[in-house]
Amino acid sequence: MSAVATDTEAYRARHRAWLAANLPARWRADNPDYQGPTLDEAKEWEAELHRQGFWGVAWPRDYGGHGLTLREHLVANQEIGRLPMPESFNSIGKELAGPIILAIATEEQKKRYIPAILEMREIWCQGFSEPEAGSDLAGLRTRAVRDGAAWRVTGQKIWTSGAHRAQRCLLLARTGSMESRHRGLSLFALKLDQPGVTIKPIRQMDGNAEFNEVFFDNALVEPEDALGEQERGWAAAVRVLEVERGTNRIYRAWRLEEELRHLLTVCRTDPALARIIENPHMVQRIAAVQVDIEVHKRMIEGVVEDLCAGASIGGRGSLIKQHWSDYHQRQAALAVEILERASYPPSPAVARAQQRFRTVYLRSRAETIYAGTTQIQLGIIADRILKLPREG
Amino acid sequence: MSDDPIREIAETATRAAAIAAGLDAAGAARRLGEDGLLGVLAPESVGGLGLPLSVAAAVVAATEAALVPLPVAEAVLAARLLAERHPEVAAAIVAGEGVVTVATAGAFTDEDGRCSGTVGRAPAGLAARWLIARTGNAGAAVLLDLRAEGVTIEEERGLDLERPPARIVARDAVATPLHDIAGFEADLLLLRAAGALGAAEHCLDRTIGHVSNRRQFGKPLVAFQGLRFELARQKLSLEGARAALAHALSLAGQDPRAEGIARLVARSACGDAAPAIIEAAIQLHGGMGFTWDLGLHRQLRRAREAAAALDAVAARAALAERLEQAWAA
Ligand SMILES: Cc1cc2nc3c(=O)[nH]c(=O)nc-3n(C[C@H](O)[C@H](O)[C@H](O)COP(=O)(O)OP(=O)(O)OC[C@H]3O[C@@H](n4cnc5c(N)ncnc54)[C@H](O)[C@@H]3O)c2cc1C
Repeated sequence: MSAVATDTEAYRARHRAWLAANLPARWRADNPDYQGPTLDEAKEWEAELHRQGFWGVAWPRDYGGHGLTLREHLVANQEIGRLPMPESFNSIGKELAGPIILAIATEEQKKRYIPAILEMREIWCQGFSEPEAGSDLAGLRTRAVRDGAAWRVTGQKIWTSGAHRAQRCLLLARTGSMESRHRGLSLFALKLDQPGVTIKPIRQMDGNAEFNEVFFDNALVEPEDALGEQERGWAAAVRVLEVERGTNRIYRAWRLEEELRHLLTVCRTDPALARIIENPHMVQRIAAVQVDIEVHKRMIEGVVEDLCAGASIGGRGSLIKQHWSDYHQRQAALAVEILERASYPPSPAVARAQQRFRTVYLRSRAETIYAGTTQIQLGIIADRILKLPREG
Repeated sequence: MSDDPIREIAETATRAAAIAAGLDAAGAARRLGEDGLLGVLAPESVGGLGLPLSVAAAVVAATEAALVPLPVAEAVLAARLLAERHPEVAAAIVAGEGVVTVATAGAFTDEDGRCSGTVGRAPAGLAARWLIARTGNAGAAVLLDLRAEGVTIEEERGLDLERPPARIVARDAVATPLHDIAGFEADLLLLRAAGALGAAEHCLDRTIGHVSNRRQFGKPLVAFQGLRFELARQKLSLEGARAALAHALSLAGQDPRAEGIARLVARSACGDAAPAIIEAAIQLHGGMGFTWDLGLHRQLRRAREAAAALDAVAARAALAERLEQAWAA
């Protein structure tokens, strides 16, 4: 084994051991006594995960990162994915805002924003979509106007995930005319705790209220919170979305494999289910999901290698996002369908799996909607990857 | 009754379902009972209309589309099942004087008319007066008065929001044996297929309305070819499943051999089509589709449960073994 590989394995082993020893059992989604963390518990846990080297892996040490490469980032995430762990409460800060701040913000801004994200002092949300501007993001109307050196924002965002617990909003707003479409947009790091901002949660079909309407009435953006060049917000937003589609929750393939493992492990404990998963027709469907998972892993590993070699993600994020959002819906429906046939009454472990996968099934419906819908991803693949001409 | 009883009953059912959807299970039973909708299958001796299964399918399609909080398929079939030997219960179900439910999981043990054990996944069980549940013996079941001594009922977690499932525990409770419910169970599956398809059609209609009004990129969404193709595909699978179901319904009670194959085809086609059409409806509403308040998830939750019961995979496996028979028919 080469020295590099040995190092990677040692690195992996350290992360695996730490999680095994420290992840509270009741936060495991496969635990019959499952109970997710509260916001305060999650903040403490995620700050500790950062200190232990799970977050900010590839970010520069100057801003609180660990100064390693995306390869280690992937290894740490594979270990996160292997366990049924709670999702980050600040993945928008860590995975969308963070990378874009590192790419376009000033040195002073990086020093201010990045450590606050890693230490969980500032949770971020993403204020892009509006009632009239969803798939057609360039049609957004929320307006930012100059107020001396500062900015004043008026308008409305919608579907803003986590805004109700966030301190900052990565806001895309119009600074040019409506007609200028995508050329007249700018990006801001707006502070949410101020009189000009009203946040109203919207209940989702899984019963939780994780996304919000956010209203801005002359809300203030301090001069030091404008991000990147004015009117260059679209290019920055496109990069945010490429990251969101390509490398956000990079552990996902390994987590979806963990879901499949949980499903099959539980099925083997129940005589009726054990028979069903050995039925040749079911075996085919289960194996097809495993193929999708393996393909997903290879796509992610490929992107990480290319990014390490200096390439950008570009439209390729759309291939990855479309792949996983599609198969995860099939996987979740399969899990619900199988678990419905459990022996009755179900054991606590089976009942927990039933509850987990009902929720996963309902939530998976959003995965082909957020970060650009299926139809929008297919359009990007046609336009930017296949480069299909518009006319003959 | 006019020349087209199905259409007339479907219209009555649609009107009644719209009202019943706003009531609780007991109120919905009374409302549907008043219009005679729970007696479509039961004989006249218990106040029913004695119509064919296809008419019941039209009723269930309407009540599932409207999210009526009552197990309607269970009620119309139970009224027919019980009419001969338990006419008082059948008449009460037909009149909507009480809710009947069916345990879809587990079995009781039955010794000389006394049953014990745990069954569950009985829709709207907490609101029910009567329960039909299997016993250990093949095809055999019992009718249990849920007010009987030795019976406890508790709510369970499931997908269906309007008819939360219940678990029923019996300890030496007096129950009435029912001898062969195989036909009842097979017809229940067909009616659940009809209900899921009715809900899917309703969701598809709502979606067409939405994308015709919603504008993005300077035009109505429905102007985009990709989206038109998507809707066209949903329509195709709806019509295919509907044809398969109509055929199975038309054969109900006739040639049992052909019936078997037609039912397997219907289970497969409806079990796949119904949830997929509702999922597409949610998708085509965008962020709005994922909200609690838009409510498409309510039809999806029910249709997913119906699809699990229809078990398209098992239906296709059974069909594969009988292809020769299908070709000979
Ligand atoms: C759970 C969840 C969390 C979200 N979190 C955030 C967040 O944190 N921040 C944020 O800014 N946004 C967020 N969103 C919003 C999301 O990005 C939008 O919902 C999405 O971009 C679609 O926009 P829309 O809802 O307006 O749907 P619409 O754009 O109205 O689309 C409706 C349907 O039409 C289809 N369609 C649109 N255009 C075309 C076309 N040209 N051809 C064919 N079909 C088309 C779409 O694919 C969709 O199926 C979230 C959404 C969800 C569901």
